[in-house]
Amino acid sequence: MPPKPRKPPPRRPDPRKRNLLIAGAGAALVVAILVVVSVVVAGGGDSGTTTTSGAASSALFDGIPQNGTELGAKNAPVTFIQFEDLQCPICRSYQEDGFSDIVREYVRPGKVKLRFAGIAILGQDSEKALRYALAAANQGKLWEYVAAIYANQGEENTGWVTDDVLERLAKDVGLDWTQLQKDAASAEVTRQAQATAAEAGQLGVPGTPTFFVKIGNGKPYAVQPTSFSIDSFRPIFADALSQ
Amino acid sequence: MSDRALRIAIAVVAVAGVAVAGYLTYVHYQPDALICTSHGGCETVQKSSYAELAGIPVALLGLLAWSAVLVLVAWDSELARTLVAAVALGAAGFAIYLVTLQAFVIDAWCIWCMVNDLVLVPLLAILAIWRTLRTPEA
Repeated sequence: MPPKPRKPPPRRPDPRKRNLLIAGAGAALVVAILVVVSVVVAGGGDSGTTTTSGAASSALFDGIPQNGTELGAKNAPVTFIQFEDLQCPICRSYQEDGFSDIVREYVRPGKVKLRFAGIAILGQDSEKALRYALAAANQGKLWEYVAAIYANQGEENTGWVTDDVLERLAKDVGLDWTQLQKDAASAEVTRQAQATAAEAGQLGVPGTPTFFVKIGNGKPYAVQPTSFSIDSFRPIFADALSQ
Repeated sequence: MSDRALRIAIAVVAVAGVAVAGYLTYVHYQPDALICTSHGGCETVQKSSYAELAGIPVALLGLLAWSAVLVLVAWDSELARTLVAAVALGAAGFAIYLVTLQAFVIDAWCIWCMVNDLVLVPLLAILAIWRTLRTPEA
């Protein structure tokens, strides 16, 4: 009689696999909780953009001379150069924070003049907005138009810079829309945009906003405020004005 | 690869994770430290409503998770090994969710978040699973 085959002992689960299974189950539970909280709490949040009119900011610039891309007295001893992209949300933060105080405290009294050094680094919407902003300089309202564009800034590269938006904002700040369109398509605007982009390259501008200070006809030097509050800009201007 | 080598590799990845998550936590509280670069996305992701979970910055959760991995990898026990695997798998699952959000909901890419979600977290998961399943040394 052949020997009876022995029954194999019951297989014990591999403890390493068991541990991984426990880890996976715990992880799945935590991830499920996190995702549910994120979707319920954050998903209900407002991710839209404001659509306030830029016209309200026009008063800020009333009576201040505008020469091309510059704002302020021609003979102001200090020039503050702002490399910015109209699509950049951080440039918008600067515009909403310290910018108005700089205009009131330094530009209006003739101590500092600002130069809009617009560059288009983020995409097609940046390019279109920049062309129209530069074109607005021909009508002496670049700064009002830039403020209006920032106030209505949309999500990056979603096609938010439409003709309708540009026309509405142009009319808000008192620009001649037909002339603006013509100027925006001009070779001169192309030349200006290219010149500023080349200047940014030469100065090693890493992104936007990037600020430079120029004293008289001296060489511009980069400055980096620790925040966009006016308190961070005051020492920069005090230093430049004392030289 | 020996258990010691795996522990060192996990520790190195965790240190990189602490650095990236620490930077993202810093810019969450100091957004002015950011500039927009041609990479795009920049502050859009950080300012989106998904950047916080019940008031806690997602970047801070990441920083805590990476710190926990560092502590656990220093503690050589089976429980610590299992916990590292749990954190790694949880991080991998949540990273998939965060990448999906950036691609389809926020519609913007945060370069440092991508480094964390697509490089460091998958690396951690692979190393942690490998360490959990490997045959113990005699």
